[in-house]
Parts: sequence; C-alpha cells; structure tokens
Amino acid sequence: MNFKRILAVTSREARGMVRDKLFFAMAFIVPALLMLTFGYGLSLDVMHSPLAALDYDRTSMSRDYLHRFMDSPAFSFRGYLKSERQIYPLLASGTVRAVLIIPEHFQQNLLAGRPAAVQTLIDGTFPFRAQTVKGYVAAINNSFNLRELSLYLCRTRAMSRRRALAGLEPIKAQVRCLYNRNLRSDWSIAPRLMMMVMMICPPFLTAMGVVREKETGAIYNIYSSTITRGEYLLGKLTPYVVVSIFNAVVLWLIATEVFGAPFRGGRLFFFASSVLYVICTTGMGLIVSVLVGTQVAASLVTFIVTVVPTVFYSGMFVPISSLSPSGRVVARLLPAMYFTNIVSGCFLKGVGFKVLWSDAAVLAIYAAALFMLGYSRFHKRPAS
Amino acid sequence: MVAEGLGPQPAVRLRAFTKNYGRLRAVCGVDLDVDREEIFGLIGPDGAGKSSLMKAVAGVMSFEGGSLEVFGTRIDSEKSAESVKERLGFMPQGLGQNLYPDLSVDENIDFFSRSRLVPAKEAAERKKGLLEMTRLTPFRARPMKNLSGGMKQKLGLVCTLIHEPGLVILDEPTTGLDPVSRRDFWTTLSVLLREKKITALVSTAYMDEASRFHRLSLFYGGRAVAQGSPDEIMAAVPGALVVCKTERQSETLAGLKKSFSDVQVRGSWLRVFVKGADEQEAVGRVGQVVGEGVAELRSAPAELEDIFIALLREKGLVVESSRGVSDMTDSAMPARIEEEGRGGADIEARNLVRDFGGFRAVDGVSFRVERGEIFGLLGANGAGKSTAIKMLVGLLPPTAGTGYVAGRSMLQAPRAIRERIGYMSQVFSLYTDLTVVENIRLYAGIYGLDRGRSRQRTDWILEMTELAGHEDQRTESLPMGVRQRLALGCALVHGPRILFLDEPTSGVDPIGRRRFWDILFRLSRNELVTILITTHYMGEAEHCDHLALMHGGKIVADASPGEMKRRLANETGGLLEVKTDRAAEAMEALREAGFQGVSIHGRQIHLLAPDREAAEHRIRKVLAEKNIALIAVSQQPVTMEDVFVHHVMAMEANGGKSR
Amino acid sequence: MTALLVWLRRLRVMTVKELLQFSRDGALILFMVYAFTFDIYLAGSGVHFELKSAATVIHDSDRSSASRELIDQFRPPSFRIEGTIERGAEGTRLLDEGKAMVVLDIPPRFQESLLSGAPTDLQIRVDASNSVLGLFAANFCSRIAESFGFQAGLKRLGVAPDRVKYLPRVRNAYRVWFNPNQNDTWFMSIAELLNIITLFAILLPACAMVREKERGTVEQLLVTPLTSFQIMFPKVLAMAAVILAGTTMSLFGVLRYCFHVPFRGSILLFYAVTLLYVFTTAGLGLVISTLARNLGQAGMMAIITYGPMIFLSGAWSPPEAMPRFIRTMMLLSPLHYYIDASYGVLLKGAGINLLWRSILGMGALGGTLFTLGVWRMRRQFE
Repeated sequence: MNFKRILAVTSREARGMVRDKLFFAMAFIVPALLMLTFGYGLSLDVMHSPLAALDYDRTSMSRDYLHRFMDSPAFSFRGYLKSERQIYPLLASGTVRAVLIIPEHFQQNLLAGRPAAVQTLIDGTFPFRAQTVKGYVAAINNSFNLRELSLYLCRTRAMSRRRALAGLEPIKAQVRCLYNRNLRSDWSIAPRLMMMVMMICPPFLTAMGVVREKETGAIYNIYSSTITRGEYLLGKLTPYVVVSIFNAVVLWLIATEVFGAPFRGGRLFFFASSVLYVICTTGMGLIVSVLVGTQVAASLVTFIVTVVPTVFYSGMFVPISSLSPSGRVVARLLPAMYFTNIVSGCFLKGVGFKVLWSDAAVLAIYAAALFMLGYSRFHKRPAS
Repeated sequence: MVAEGLGPQPAVRLRAFTKNYGRLRAVCGVDLDVDREEIFGLIGPDGAGKSSLMKAVAGVMSFEGGSLEVFGTRIDSEKSAESVKERLGFMPQGLGQNLYPDLSVDENIDFFSRSRLVPAKEAAERKKGLLEMTRLTPFRARPMKNLSGGMKQKLGLVCTLIHEPGLVILDEPTTGLDPVSRRDFWTTLSVLLREKKITALVSTAYMDEASRFHRLSLFYGGRAVAQGSPDEIMAAVPGALVVCKTERQSETLAGLKKSFSDVQVRGSWLRVFVKGADEQEAVGRVGQVVGEGVAELRSAPAELEDIFIALLREKGLVVESSRGVSDMTDSAMPARIEEEGRGGADIEARNLVRDFGGFRAVDGVSFRVERGEIFGLLGANGAGKSTAIKMLVGLLPPTAGTGYVAGRSMLQAPRAIRERIGYMSQVFSLYTDLTVVENIRLYAGIYGLDRGRSRQRTDWILEMTELAGHEDQRTESLPMGVRQRLALGCALVHGPRILFLDEPTSGVDPIGRRRFWDILFRLSRNELVTILITTHYMGEAEHCDHLALMHGGKIVADASPGEMKRRLANETGGLLEVKTDRAAEAMEALREAGFQGVSIHGRQIHLLAPDREAAEHRIRKVLAEKNIALIAVSQQPVTMEDVFVHHVMAMEANGGKSR
Repeated sequence: MTALLVWLRRLRVMTVKELLQFSRDGALILFMVYAFTFDIYLAGSGVHFELKSAATVIHDSDRSSASRELIDQFRPPSFRIEGTIERGAEGTRLLDEGKAMVVLDIPPRFQESLLSGAPTDLQIRVDASNSVLGLFAANFCSRIAESFGFQAGLKRLGVAPDRVKYLPRVRNAYRVWFNPNQNDTWFMSIAELLNIITLFAILLPACAMVREKERGTVEQLLVTPLTSFQIMFPKVLAMAAVILAGTTMSLFGVLRYCFHVPFRGSILLFYAVTLLYVFTTAGLGLVISTLARNLGQAGMMAIITYGPMIFLSGAWSPPEAMPRFIRTMMLLSPLHYYIDASYGVLLKGAGINLLWRSILGMGALGGTLFTLGVWRMRRQFE
C-alpha cells in the first residue's frame, strides 16, 4: 500500500465527481430530500381511521356507545348508514376502514341486565392497520363495559360507584413506555431513516464507478499502471465515503433538529459507527460495480440489494425477532440491522459503546470482508 | 532508462503466442521480437489480433498459449506482469478514452505522474518539457473533453510518457485523427522516443503510416503474415502498379476485373496491381485489356496497401466477391430516376451558421452537391463538418442560414427530407445486441416498407454488403469494417436518393475500406445516389468528384481533387522526397532552414519546393553543415494529403490563434 | 389508410426491437425473474407486522399462585418468557441492551391485595424505541392485566365464572373482512409485487432510452421519419409486455401457489389496471431519461422518485393520519391510485364501479407525464 498512489486515485476521483455538477449536487440533495419526505410522510400512527355506523337501535344508549368512538382521535366518523347493502362498497373502495353495527334491543338488553351484541367490520387489507383498529375498538368497548357493569352492580348489589369500579378493576396496570414515552412515531422513525437513507444513497454513488471505467476503457490506465488493486479500490472509495460522512452528519442534524428526536448516546461512538456503516454501504456499491459488466445491470442490482432488504430486513419497521427464520438469516447477512441497533440505542435509549460494541464490531468486520471480496474479484490482468 | 548491460536482449519477445476469447481464436502462434529503441509497427485489419497482443504485452490481459517476455521477465501471472509495469506505458485504443474528460490537461498529467510516484520536482520539469514539445502549454487549464482529437492523443501520449517508461505500447493512436494531427502526432512521437531512448510497439489502421516504423508486422486473422522493415515488406510481392483514366469507367472496370485480381477505383483513376510483372510489362498488359479510348495510362509507385492485399491473396486469405461491380443494380432505383429526372442540386447549404454558447462551430457555410455526385467534406477534427451535416439532416436547428435537401427546405420540411435521406453518423449507431438481419428489418419497418418489399431489400442489402451467411450473427461480434458496411446497408434500406456519411470508414481496415468505396462508387455511378461524405483518409478524398475543405467552421477551398492538387503544385512547386541516414535530425535542420511543408515519413523527408534545382542545392548545403549524409532527392507527385496539410497549416499560420 | 398501416408497422418493429434487446440481456432477465418470484416470496414469507415472541422478563416479588397465574397469561406466540430477574435494575439493563422488550414487575403482596380487594399497581416496562411495536406491546399488556383483574374482581364479588356471560355487557364481535386472519403474507406479497412493478416500470424504459443516448443509436432514429412518440411509445409497450409477463409469473407462481392469496375480483381488470399503471410510471421514467445524460444520473433520479412514491403510496402510512400537505402530495403519486385499485381488485373483489376514481387519476397522471416526455424528447438534443 502506497499512500501517495491512493491519494492520486482519490483526488482524481474527487475531481471527476465534482465536475459532474448534476451528479455532485444530487449526491447531497437526494439523501436530505429523502430524509425529509420520509420523515414527514412516513407516519405509522394509525389515527383518524374513517368509520361509519349502522345503528338499528337508535336509542340514547346506542348513541352514547357510538359517541365514544366519535370522540376518540383514533377514528373519524363518516356518518350513519341506512342499510347493510351500503357496507360493502364503502369498505371495498376504501372510503371507510371500519363499520359498527348496533342491533335492535341494544339498550333494552343492557338495561334488563342482559349482554348485548355489537358487530365491528374491519377492512383487513392492511393487517397492521386492522390490528391497531381492533385494539382501539377493544379499548373503547372495555371502558364502556366497565361503566355499564359498575352501574349494574350499584343497582343490584347496593354498592357505591367507586367501590364497584375498584372491585372490577383491582389491578392498575402502569405501562411505562421507555425511551419514547408518547410513542411518537417520528422519534422512532427519524433515527431509523438515517440508517435507511445511508443504505440507499451511498451505493449509488459508487456503483457506476468501476463499470463506467470498464465501459470507457479508462480502466486500462489502472491495469497498466503500478497502482495495486487494493490502492485502487481504496482510492476510489474514499471520496464517496467522505461525501457520505458529510451526509450522515446532515441527516443527524435533521433527525435531531427538524424532527426533534432525542439523542442520548455518545456522540463519538455514534460518529465512529456511522463511518463504519458508510464504508460498508459505499463498499457494497463498489462491489456491485466490480462484479457486473454494464451500467444498466449495476443500477438495477444496486437497487435490489439495497432498497428491498433495507425496508424489510433492517429492523426499520419490523423487528428482527418478528421475522421468519429465513428472514432472520437474511437480516444477519446485511449491515443494516446492526446499524439499526446502534441508531436506536444511541438515539432513544442513550446507551453507548458498552452495550453496542458488538454491533460496531460486526460492521467493522463487514467492511473488511467487503474489501476482501472486492480485492479478490478485481483483477488487473483479466482474460478479456 | 537504465541500461541492462546484458547484451542485446529484446524489449519484447513473443513465441507461439496464442490468445482465445472463449472458443474464438484471436491470435494464434505469433513469434515476434521488438528490439531496444526501435519503433515496431503492427498493421492489419480490425479483429486481426493486434489489440489482444498489445494488451497481453502491457500486462493487462492474460493469454492462453505460448510465451511472452518483457525486458527479459517472463510474463505468466498477474504478479509477474505487475513487476514490469513500472517500465511500461500503455495507451489503449480510442480517442482520449483513457483520459478523464472532466479533468483539465494539467490534472490529467498530474494524475498519471502521481500515480506513478514521479517525484514532484521531476514531474513538474517533465511536464513542462512534454507540454512544450506537444505545444499543449496554452491549453493546460482546458478540460480534456474540450480538446480536439489530435490534442487528446498528444495528451494521452504525454500521460503515457510522464514516468519515462522503457517501452510504450500504443494501440492505434492515430485512428480518427485528421492528416495534420496525424503528422503532428508522429513527429512528436518520433522525437520523444529518440530523445528518451524509448522502445515503442505501435499499431495502426493506416497503411501509409508503415514508413514511420523501423520494422513492422502485417497481421491478418490472428497471424503475422509478413515481418520486416518497410522496404523488405514492399519487396515481398514483386509486381507493378498501373493507373489509367477513361471516359467509360464502369465498363473499363468490369473488363479489368475479369483479367486482374486487384483493381480499384480511386476517383477518376483506375488502379491495377499486376503481380510479378515489371513496370513496362504491366503497362502493356493493362493496355491490352483496356484497349482504345484511354485518356491516360502509366505506371505508378505501389503502396503498402497494394502489397498487403497482394500478400493476402497469395496466401489465399482474401476471398474476392464473386460478382462484378456493374451487374448488381437496385431495382428501386431506375424507376425513381425516371420519375425525378436527372441533374440539379440535391443538397444545398446557404450560409449555414451554428453557435454552441459563445462558440461558432459553423460559420456561414455554403455549397452545392449535384445529383449523383460524391461530395467530400474535409477538415481537421473540430472544423465543423459533423455539425454542418447534422444541420442538413435535421438533427440540429441552424442558428442562421438555410439549406435545401432533395429540393425541400430543411427549415420547413424536415420530415419529408428524413424520408428521402440515409445517414450514417460518426459513431456506430446500429444495435450491437441485435443480429444483422434484425437490424435491417428494424430499419425497413421504420421506413414503412411492407413485408414483401422488406424481404426484397434485406436480400439486396445482404448481397451488396456481402453479409449473406452472417444474417444471424450479433452485430457486436462483427469486425469494424463489416459493421460499417451493415450500417451503410441500413441507411440504404429505403432506397434513399441522398446519403450523408460522417466518417464512415474511421477505424476501418484497408480491405474493408476498399469494399466500402466499391459500394459507394456503384451507388453513385449506377443509381445516381447523391453522396455527401467526410473522411480523414486522404486516399479516400481522391475518390470524390468534388471536395470542400473546412477550417474553423468556414469553407476555405472548394474544387475537384485534381484541381486542388494542380493549384497546390502551381502555388508551391513540386513535392521533393529527401532520403538521408538520419531522418529526424535532417528534418529539424531542413525546417530550421525555412523549407515549407517539411514532414517525416519513416526514413524519408517530404518538403515542398518551387524550384527543384535550387532546392536540391540548398538541401545539400544544409545537410552537409550538420554532417548528415544525403542519399537521394527525388520529385514526387503531390497527393491530397499534401493539399490538406498545406491548407490547414496556412490557415493556422494566418489566424489559427483566433479559435 | 396506408398512412395508418405504416404507423402501425413502425410501432411494431420498434416494439419488437425493444423485446429482442431485452431478450439478449441474460443478466437482466435472470435478475427480473429473481425479483418477480424469489424476492416477492421472501417479502411475503419473512415479514410480519405483529407482536411476535416479544422477549419478556419477569420480576416477581410475590411468588404466589396469583402471580404465576398472571405470568401464564403472557403466552406465545405474542410473548416469550426469557426468564426471571431478582432486582428491578437488572430489567433496565436488559431493556437497554435490547435483550428484553417487556419487563413485568409484580409487587410484593400481589395475591394478598387481590383477595382483599385493595388496589394493586402492576408495573410493566415496554421498550418503545420502535413506536409501533411499543404500542402493540403496551396495549396487549394492559389488556392482559385488565382482564386478569376483571376476572379476579368478579370472583371476589361473588360472580361465578359461568355467570359472567350473562352480565349486561357489550360483546363486540369483530369481523375482519377481505383478510379474515389478518394474514400479513397477503398484504406483503401484494405490496412487494407492486413495488417491483414500480421499480421496473420506472427503470426499464428510462435505462433503455438513456442507453440509446449514451451509445448514439438515438441519432440514427432521429434522422428517420419516426416521431418522438414513435420512438418512445414502443419502449413503454415492450416493457409493459415484459412487466406483465413478470406479473403473471408472480401472481400465479408465488401469490396464488405459495401464499394462497384469494383473487376475489376480475384478474382481467387487474391486468388492465396494471397496464395503465405501467404506462403512467413509464411516462415518469421517460421524463427522467430526457433529463439524465448518463445511467448514473438516471439511477439517482430514479431513487429520488421511487422512494417517495413508495412511502407516499398509502400502503405504509394511512393517508388519513397524514398532514394535509402530504395528503395532497399523495394525489401526485401514481402508486397511491394503483395500491387502492389493486388491493381493491385482488382482495376485495371490487369492480370498476368502485375504482373508477383511482383509474381516472392514474390515467390523468400518465397522460400528463407521457406528453411531457414526448415534448422533451427532441428538444433535449438541440
């Protein structure tokens, strides 16, 4: 390894990058833009789900029951229906996501001390949303029941309201949501977005690098020179690593300043791991570039090896523990998961090197392995 | 370079060298030695294996059989190849393709010197010297992509030489350059190599560059057909060349083809190589065939190209097309001639102007091309030829001025024009991943030919381009010359009456170019197709009926090739060839003495002088002063290349700085 | 009449050309087959949006039968008991390290209070650094605690367990339509299919066009009598054919065969909607191709458009929960309409009478984009 030769390759690459103005501008704009659109656009909070009701009872009690739904921020009431025939088109076209059906004798049954049945129809197209809606329905239903039962106990057992309520609810579950008390999805997403954007953008910077030189013939300068394989790959990678580190800092600022996500961990440790991660992601692009033959193939392969796994196998939306065994294997083979651990640890949990050193170590090993792979696949004296 | 001290070990030694690409055999069993400090040339058509051999020598490609030694080191692995790279410089094929387009001249050189670990001080000195030598100093800050072709190649050379290698390997460094740039490149190269005592292995597609080499090897089909000094090779096939001029060119040509294997049309001249005959005998035999009514008939010096083709024929490597030239006509054409009549201008440019930003690429160009004429547009790289053509075919709107193509204004009727023209752009623009016949069918469909007509035209094109049998071959696997013929075929699929050809033969080997021109000639003479063509081969310019020479976006001369040569001869006198023992030094001396048009051709020097007697006298005096032995001075006919170089040099001397 | 014939012939040969070129790129075909089959299979089988095997740690200070009964409620598949700890601080450490997701603190004298009717506090700590899972876990835990308390309370109040169902309560019976088991596989595999279709619909025509520019073949086309439309439209036609072939492979090979996704609506309608969507998105790709000078630039522009398109599609974030500005932006994402329409057809069995709004929106966007691309086509060279 000769440092001067690496520097020569790096400065040439850097100049070439700066001179392609459109490309250079995009290298900075794209990550920030993605972070902002996703950060604002990607809210996983299921709120204001459109709801309609079919009330056959039309009593004060049924209206009271429905009002609990109308007043909840989880739902947005879209009106009363007149007949069951209206339900399918509304659900099928996505106009409403849930329909409440209150049968006749609702009030009558309850007042007579009998149970009453209600039906909720939920659109299950998006299972995650259906799940959440189910949760809200259950919670609202429970609180209504608690009141009804306590009233019933008052009437039948001559108990006070307070005692009746306490008797029905002897356990007060105090759920403490650690790290993100208000369950704000932007807090939880913004740091992970950093992981995602830094997975998607850097490979695109490097993916064209070697293929383009192969296509134009400039690669022969390297083949015929005394620059070694390792020097070439390192030199080629460095400018993009620098750009990406700068971008990582910008993204960190967006996450903390714009989205207000709390950063509680050690800055130095986080910075060092980000550098490792960025080396991995830029390196992935370079590997693609070394392996494929054409630029078209390079751009498509990069897309598939970065975008798809980052969405599914990084722990971004789905925790690794919830993946199927095959999914868990895929996740472990990619660097994104390890950085997700570091990001969520450093941002929300405020843990540092002590806890996350193993993830950082895996990233370092990954970077080294990528480099070795590139080194072994890149030859200065190919057969054609 | 450091002397090895181990006797005359050659710089490169190849024995039974073999290179395969999969099942395709690119080079088989070549033996070759390149001696220290010599310029060794590889000449041959595309796909002959030149590039493969050079890449192997440069250590950038592995090979399958035989042995290769560079500076005494056996190259058999990536490691051994690495060990000699310090002493090698390699410039791959393609105009400026190994340079970085967005970087300036300075930055390109700096990258090479830094990556070669040349100490900063030395690098600066060398760079200064090389830039001076190549006259690139004024352009140091200019991005490489904005340089002309000639400058790009010189910059490539500077970058290759910056670490002062012992051996440089240059793969077709002059392909795509205009004659002036080519001369300039060769002059620079020979001076640099001599000064630094560098060995060079150079390939070229230009046969006329053979005289630049000390020794050369003729390549064909992966084998070295002949090896030796230029003189030795010229003597390899005994025979003589006869040229004649007749009124009835087509018929005479057909007649000659029956009796002689090697007949070629060059403009108004027919050239016949008579094998095994001396000059007198050859003239006699041709005279017999041609018979009466010949305007002129004489012998002429043979060129390497003639010898090369004769050699191949001798070895049975060239299969001649079985059909004569005149017996293949396009059924579509005669009817159209009836319909549209003869005569009149088919292409007319009127004061065409085109600006790119603040730069005026074409500056008030006007010319007329008559029906059925072959019109050549000549000019250095960047003279504005391609831009002018692009405006005429409707690819670029003109900034000012107008043009008429097929009798229609290019401003008002671009679509009507597009239906009547064929166009071949500078870069190969067919689909390389499609087969021959798929490409033809595609263009047949684009021009709206119905099924029957499409089949008919496909057959015609396959026959004309001699591609029958290759229908299902991918275009990417065809040699350059064949590809260009196919591109021409596709441009002709709809039977256009006007053809625009932008450097169609650039990088095509001599045999391929001959075939190509056979077709053009046939189209023009038999089918009255009007052809506007640009070329850097001055030999080809002689084929044209009319020439226009462009410089700096303007037309500076407009006449027939013969007229142009006559004018130059009148203006400057004849061309003298000077033979000496030390060509390079002699050239410097003569140039300093104020001779015009001094250039080096291998061991000979060419210069222009009005009065032969006086000039010879002065030459003797100048050379004697420098202790250079004069072997001979002889008068040579003026060639198109001399005309071109003279015009461009004159223009550059006048106001070249303005650009 | 002849003019029309010539027009059609031009379209045909250009389309055939694109298909031939595609068929010659072996690596691309291989990759495409991978994307339309294996990749969708991975997405469908590997990803679940539910609380699954949440690592739970118990800090039981009571060690009574009641506490054990409560612990028993934290059952698989949602929970997985990782073990018990002696001190509360240890729970914090496990949460920090990501080794536990839920820590349940059962206070001393838990059983005693339960029997005496004194209110008891049950502490449950949940790792909410992933807000979605945090929410699921929090809700789940409180529901378990509440119903456990409710049962215990009723028992103490003397309501026999078999009498509970006669109490005056509202029983809310859910019925989840269209995907009764809330099978994530159905949702994910369709979502991934749509993503892949989007990816190819943007990139294939854009790359085909940029490649013609880079290699100079477009010049040859421009001097022929072809119009810009005739140059661009066949690329879309050919790529649409390729994408529909991939879609077919995916629909029948993966979605139906592996995941048993019910195709409730008309498959023909789904193909028609897909075709329209491919045209729309390809229009976007073509606009990109007129802006980019090389494939590097084209790739970057593709991510800028692809990323937001996916996330503004409504598949991940419910539109109604978004700020108004974003909701307006979603109207500009063709994928938004396509998601509505394709889930509508495939899972809900909706017909054109319910989906005409989405189809119209997509058509309007596609027309605009394609016109823009054609308009830029010749202009870019001048």
